[in-house]
Amino acid sequence: MDKLGKAQSELLEMDEIASGKSFVHRLHPLAKLVVTIVYIIFVVSFDKYNFTGLVPMVLFPVFIYQLAGVPVSLCFKKLRYVLPLVLAVGIVNPFFDNVPMLHLGNMVITGGVLSMLTLMLKGVLSIMASFILVATTKIDAICAALRKIHVPDIIVTLILLTYRYVGVMISEVSIMNNAYKLRAPGQKGIHFSAWGSFLGQLFLRSMDRAEELYSSMQLRAFKGEFYYADVHPATISSYVYVVVSILFFALFRFVDVSNLFGSLII
Amino acid sequence: MIEFKNVSFSYEKGKKILDDVSFTISDGESVGLIGANGAGKSTIMNLFLGLRFPSEGSAFVEGILVDKEHLSEVRRKIGFVLQNSDNQMFMPTVYEDMIFGPMNYGHSKEEVDQMVDTVLEELGLTYLKNRYNHKISGGEKRMAAIATVLAMRPRVILMDEPSTALDPVNRRTVINTINKLSQTKLIASHDLDMILDTCDRVILISEGRVVADGPTLEILKDRELLENNRMELPFCLQGYKG
Amino acid sequence: MHMADALLNPGVAGVMYAASAVAAGVSVKTLKKDETASKLPVMAVSSALIFAGQMINYTIPGTGSSGHLCGGMLLTALLGPQAGFLSMIVILLIQALFFADGGLMALGANCWNMAFYGCFVGYYLLWKPIMNSKLFSGLGTKGAGRIKIALCSIIGCILTLQLGAFSVVLETSISGITELPFGAFVGIMQPIHLAIGLVEGLITTVVLLFIYETRPELIMDVPMGEGEGANSKLSLKAVVAVLAAVVIVVGGGLSLFASSNPDGLEWSMFGNEEAGYSANMGLDEENYGVQSGVADTLGGVQEKTAFLPDYAFQGSDSAAGTSVSGIVGSAMVAVVAIGVCFAGGFFRKKAAKAEVKAEEVSESVEK
Repeated sequence: MDKLGKAQSELLEMDEIASGKSFVHRLHPLAKLVVTIVYIIFVVSFDKYNFTGLVPMVLFPVFIYQLAGVPVSLCFKKLRYVLPLVLAVGIVNPFFDNVPMLHLGNMVITGGVLSMLTLMLKGVLSIMASFILVATTKIDAICAALRKIHVPDIIVTLILLTYRYVGVMISEVSIMNNAYKLRAPGQKGIHFSAWGSFLGQLFLRSMDRAEELYSSMQLRAFKGEFYYADVHPATISSYVYVVVSILFFALFRFVDVSNLFGSLII
Repeated sequence: MIEFKNVSFSYEKGKKILDDVSFTISDGESVGLIGANGAGKSTIMNLFLGLRFPSEGSAFVEGILVDKEHLSEVRRKIGFVLQNSDNQMFMPTVYEDMIFGPMNYGHSKEEVDQMVDTVLEELGLTYLKNRYNHKISGGEKRMAAIATVLAMRPRVILMDEPSTALDPVNRRTVINTINKLSQTKLIASHDLDMILDTCDRVILISEGRVVADGPTLEILKDRELLENNRMELPFCLQGYKG
Repeated sequence: MHMADALLNPGVAGVMYAASAVAAGVSVKTLKKDETASKLPVMAVSSALIFAGQMINYTIPGTGSSGHLCGGMLLTALLGPQAGFLSMIVILLIQALFFADGGLMALGANCWNMAFYGCFVGYYLLWKPIMNSKLFSGLGTKGAGRIKIALCSIIGCILTLQLGAFSVVLETSISGITELPFGAFVGIMQPIHLAIGLVEGLITTVVLLFIYETRPELIMDVPMGEGEGANSKLSLKAVVAVLAAVVIVVGGGLSLFASSNPDGLEWSMFGNEEAGYSANMGLDEENYGVQSGVADTLGGVQEKTAFLPDYAFQGSDSAAGTSVSGIVGSAMVAVVAIGVCFAGGFFRKKAAKAEVKAEEVSESVEK
């Protein structure tokens, strides 16, 4: 399957998972948004050498994934976009930072290795957290949360409208891409001579679509206002979720739990 | 009731797209608008909807002149089902699309919710209410598009190719729905069998002029008339030797 | 060029959020309300199209590789800077949310790096002044329009991608994420993005030229030639030829500029993938510091530009660092985490079984 098809099935898959009915799915979207962002801030604020201190933070997403009934494996597919860049930046650290930090028997672990590992873990954790947000919250609920924190209406509306047409456009582009490929066997992509007309045609057609879309709004007396279904007010459990999660993050951030556990044994 | 009085239309400096077209469709009538590609069907629709205005002559909806001044009044009375339902259904869910029009007219949320429920029940679509527009099937989307128009309680409904790209069962559902509607209807289509099933009267246009206007069967069984205007007999009449 | 959350510290991410938020706020304010209403459908459909268009491979002539589109300059030329910027934000947000491309915390930085430069700098510094200038007026309206579009698109894309790449380096370095000296980092990122910018510029040019031929009124500020079309002094073919020349001149010039930083260029020639670069860099590293002059200067640059002293956390048992007991504890945490996964799966299966049983029971009751 090509990239377009994959993207489409991925969007549908996310949609499917987000329609779940678990405890996490039912939490108020704003609560989930806040917890996600706070979690990411805590994660990236760990010291670059504090790998073991960061490890316990993995418990939060893992726990929530289970609570929501979302398979963790799905999230790892998403790592393919961001991880290479994080890897590329992190992998140079061991070469530049040779200061020994730790001796394990004969093995010496340098600061560079530690900071590389920490960076990668940070990358994975922050993606796990964002993924759990989208996997348990539908796009319109996220947008409702954005409206609550006073993101301008035009941006929120634009997100919803764009999301609505992403699927439509992907299938349109994909049809044209297939039509091209069928008549251009052996070509890996769109040939230079067709770059302009390929995207240009699509763009012109999209403009016609936009025009029709706008008339259909006008015919229904559009005056710049959009109306959405009500979001259920936050329940007590949503508040509890926010407070408890943040307390846990703070605990893991300021108390080195790994160290504590370890020293119990050693 | 909708009416064209000697309407002509052309883009600037272009050739005439409509040339002196006149007809009246009275209350509750269901009329098919047929003609070849580019004959002027869409332009007729757009002129009634106030998306364009006649170069000469005038269009009326429920006795109101369609011009810039009366636009909002006209659009309260007239609903339009687009050929491409994706362009009509731009909100996330069916429900949100259905409240879009009525809310814009300033009805209260309770009123609107009630209207939406009634319409969905009438069409047997209650199960679609909270579904997402990007996830429902083509047939469901077409029915939902009709529902968004009905939620505005129009007196006149225009439809552009309501039966295209539907499987036989969905097509039949749409036809049955159209037959249940008591509003004044103008349906533009190439699906002559559907026109035969849904309309009492047909207007045939060609190159911007009304070529024929009369009872459905009379026009649709006239092989010569149809073929002279780039059409053919409806499939169900093709064995018919009139 | 999408940055991940992990590449920023919260402070830098916050600053970038604030900067992008201001730009977005100004855009929302600038777009008048009635104008917004009619522009929304166009913005939504265009950003959805760009989103899809980014997933297509564009084969680069003469090479085996293919390029991709980012779309900032293209959207600006079609929608104007404000609407273009807002559309790009939405594209980036959807990518961050649904495809984990970028990140929620890095969104502010990504909007700035990939949308702000392309939309605002590209428009106000290049597009608008050049389109309104009398440049090339000897070539007829249409001809001048074509050459101006090509010029703006190519220079605009290269310039804005260079700015974006530089910002990525700056943000990552200030965040204290990488040990890579600032100078070397710049030396890698800029040449890579020179190539990416060129391809982006070419795609933008040909798409805009296509639209210019068919529906010029859709492009911002371009001169409208009335009915000259084919009679214009500069044909489409000529534009493409001029285009190629511009590319060679601009590309050559910029690579000369880039080669004044020899290490950067050297690295940039090792491979094509970002990951590949770094791997090569690693190999190269053994000589780092041994090489005389260049390394010394670079080292000097590094000292001057390092925002965080590299070895601030020396000492193996510092509170912030890692210790043996920490490692043991981490291993325990990992075991717990895996345990949670298995337990969750186990309970889910049980619940599912219970449900099936319940259904069976209810079915049998019905019977």
